[in-house]
Amino acid sequence: MKEFINRILQSSKVTALPVMTHPGIEAIGKTVREAVSSGEIHYKAIKYISEHFDTLACTSIMDLTVEAEAFGAKINFPEHEVPSVSERLVVDLESVELLEVPSLEKGRISQFLLANKLAAENIKNKPVFSGCIGPFSLAGRLYDMSEIMVAIYIEPDIVLQLLSKCTEFLVNYCIALKATGTAGVIIAEPAAGLLSDDDCKEYSSNFVKQIVDSVQDETFTIILHNCGNTGHCTNAMIASGAKALHFGNAINMEDVLKQCPKDIVVMGNLNPVGVFKQGTRESVRKATRKLLDETAGYLNFVISSGCDLPPFVPEENIYAFLETVEEFNTKQYT
Amino acid sequence: MNQKLLEKLSECVEFGKINLASPYPPQMKGLPGADEITKEALEAGVTPTEILNDALIIAMNKVGQKFSENKIFVPQMLLSAKAMSASMMHLKPFFANGSVKRKGTFILGTVYGDLHDIGKNLFGMMVEGAGWEVIDLGIDVKIEKFVEAVQQNPNAVVGISALLTTTMVHMKPVIDAIRIAVPETKIIVGGAPLSAEFATSIGADGYGKNPQEGIMWLDKISA
Ligand code: B12
Repeated sequence: MKEFINRILQSSKVTALPVMTHPGIEAIGKTVREAVSSGEIHYKAIKYISEHFDTLACTSIMDLTVEAEAFGAKINFPEHEVPSVSERLVVDLESVELLEVPSLEKGRISQFLLANKLAAENIKNKPVFSGCIGPFSLAGRLYDMSEIMVAIYIEPDIVLQLLSKCTEFLVNYCIALKATGTAGVIIAEPAAGLLSDDDCKEYSSNFVKQIVDSVQDETFTIILHNCGNTGHCTNAMIASGAKALHFGNAINMEDVLKQCPKDIVVMGNLNPVGVFKQGTRESVRKATRKLLDETAGYLNFVISSGCDLPPFVPEENIYAFLETVEEFNTKQYT
Repeated sequence: MNQKLLEKLSECVEFGKINLASPYPPQMKGLPGADEITKEALEAGVTPTEILNDALIIAMNKVGQKFSENKIFVPQMLLSAKAMSASMMHLKPFFANGSVKRKGTFILGTVYGDLHDIGKNLFGMMVEGAGWEVIDLGIDVKIEKFVEAVQQNPNAVVGISALLTTTMVHMKPVIDAIRIAVPETKIIVGGAPLSAEFATSIGADGYGKNPQEGIMWLDKISA
């Protein structure tokens, strides 16, 4: 971790780490369903990204269903979109008590571990980051997102029990991801952004912290992603202990940078759809430049997309983004 | 006495006190909630219309206001909506026997391809609290399902929600199909990535940035 984090903190250049795998999946001629089902294909998509885009690191697929599937949730697999959970798995105290913490053999977990292993072994030019869902978002996928929001107030014991099962599983999963040799894990916790700062701390960060405490060290960095945060729960995110925080496009990056300690890497937040997918080369350049200007001088800033890039982003927009970062660096520092 | 009950009920809804058993909010623990107080009020002769207008709607307006000012968050708003639903349960018989009129029927769903439903659920509960019968079609609602629902309820108003830029474009085909089936249907759309201009461009009659705006629009067209 020191290496990864320090490289960022000590460099006067801005580095870019867009969260993306879909451009790789498309370039190798595969569908999303194929990539999320096969570790080999998944790996090849990451490999393509590592070879074609000059980024700080590459990431694995942000599939927020693998973990819920391992617990037994029913999943839909559309051909060209990320899968989704089709129905609620647990409904009350009894079903939560009966819920088993699954082994890492369940569902597609082994395929995801394979993809990470192949990527870590074969991609030598940059670090590879694994990914997983965060404890609160996972619990919400199992219990129903609206229902869990209410349950934290009226049935907190059920929620806390479910959260500890989710966390136990995620700790095991992250230990296995670390063993594949990747440089860290991006934990996606979007639903926690709908909570107040206090609730986000109690029902998300306290559990994320358990994962952090189990796996984060010099060689393995946790990047906590929360695209639901509009600025109200940044302190809770900091409290997780993650060495890097990743923000969505609903937040003002300058405000976040002011709020975060200088030794935490702060990443974000160009709109993945509005800027990357629907923009043109010109509009991407403009938005990138604007964000770079606003965040100039913060050594702990890494420019990124506010979330995973969706399917079918024009490649030229990604190049326009990376070129702009490059130009900014040369204009500023040479 | 009756005024007091209405105030108490309004407070339960504003602060999300659902019923006696609910431990939330902590300062009202062990006290009756919206459920019990509504029952008491009806027994004391308060009319369903008074309950609706002088307690529920007032409370939900306050809740909506606090939410838009970031003073409360999604969980608190959902708790208020739940408290309101608990109260509405007691009003259902009056709606059913026609002694109190609903403002109309509202069909609501998240457009196909989209699974986000927190905002839609919130809006649905608030519309119900504003005196409408709500038919919630759920998430990922295909065109045919919307069409079938308006054919079965030809006077209903339709609400469509979308949270993804990739699915908001699915709204127009839904609107077009509804207009073919029951041409005079009024349709409102909402969801974070939308705008009033977008709503107009796809032929929607209304747009609500938040639940209050949506309800204001519904009140206007049902007046
Ligand atoms: C929670 C969440 C999820 C949860 C959803 C759980 C659920 N059951 O709803 C999960 C984790 C499952 C999820 C999944 C995904 N998500 Co999501 N998610 C969010 C998040 C964090 C919050 C959305 C939310 O509930 N907001 C709270 C509610 C109250 O607000 P709201 O929905 O806008 O509703 C309000 C108003 O809009 C209005 N309203 C809503 N509907 C209607 C309807 C009418 C008629 C009216 C009048 C008003 C109205 O009233 C509401 C109350 O004020 C947002 C980020 C954000 N900050 O918004 C991303 C976000 C919406 N998701 C996003 C994405 C990309 C995804 C995924 C594709 C990610 C992935 N790689 O898997 C999947 C999509 C799955 C699918 N096919 O739908 C993007 C969308 C980008 C875009 N512009 O297209 C966002 C913006 C995140 C980001 N920054 O990139 N997500």
